[in-house]
Amino acid sequence: MPTDEELIRSALEDSDAAFAELVQRHKGRIFGMVSRFFADSHQVDDIVQEIFIRAWRNLRKFRTEAPFEHWLSRIATHTCYDFLRKKQRGGTWVPIETHETELADLPKSAAAEAREILGRAMQKLSPEEHLVITLAELEEKTVREIAVLTGWSESNVKVRAFRARQTLKKILETSHER
Amino acid sequence: MKDDADKQLDDLFALVRSEKPDTTRLEFGFETRLLARLRAAREPLPWFAPVWRYCPVFALIVIALGIWTFCSPPDFEMQSLANSAGDNSQVLEYFAGEQI
Repeated sequence: MPTDEELIRSALEDSDAAFAELVQRHKGRIFGMVSRFFADSHQVDDIVQEIFIRAWRNLRKFRTEAPFEHWLSRIATHTCYDFLRKKQRGGTWVPIETHETELADLPKSAAAEAREILGRAMQKLSPEEHLVITLAELEEKTVREIAVLTGWSESNVKVRAFRARQTLKKILETSHER
Repeated sequence: MKDDADKQLDDLFALVRSEKPDTTRLEFGFETRLLARLRAAREPLPWFAPVWRYCPVFALIVIALGIWTFCSPPDFEMQSLANSAGDNSQVLEYFAGEQI
């Protein structure tokens, strides 16, 4: 089985099959990560496509010192952040209840309900807070890992994560009181 | 020390983490969709595509011409012709190229 580096070399020589193989290997993890940020399946599909297109465009810049999946995760983080910012500017959040219409009538699991509550609360966070809380709490990344993924300093990550938690607590408390 | 709200938040996160979002439906045929998009991205743009980029420039030129026409001083020769109302001979001479 060829390694990621071998597939990248082939992909750089215009081999679509090699790039497709790379996508096949890593798409599951990227889909999992993006769907932690966004609930709408069409949007998740669009964003994952955007991530792999960015990876394909920048494949020449990939240095083999670090594993491909780390490099791809950085692209995924930046793409999610870009979409979060774009969404906040556009102010076109789709309520989570209306996503997955075909699944709406099915009984929801406790986790699905928790996801819905958290999703609604997270919509009120800033893109930075949304990003850091998703990476820290849902993807269970360490401060160091988040710093590498986002390009922020470790102290910046800590401050943002702390503020994000405080904001989220306030949002959840207020929604609980209603 | 963590308060109740912190604990509740941690429980909520743990519950969300416990179920990985199911993306198998989205992953199906993903490579095909992606490669189709990549092929489209590789195709060269038609020659007229960049013209649309210059639309704001063209619009600015039209606005500038409009302003210039509106602000430029009136043609005194034509004005004098207009003032001499009823005298068609002068107008005819002017358009015939004869000196007035």
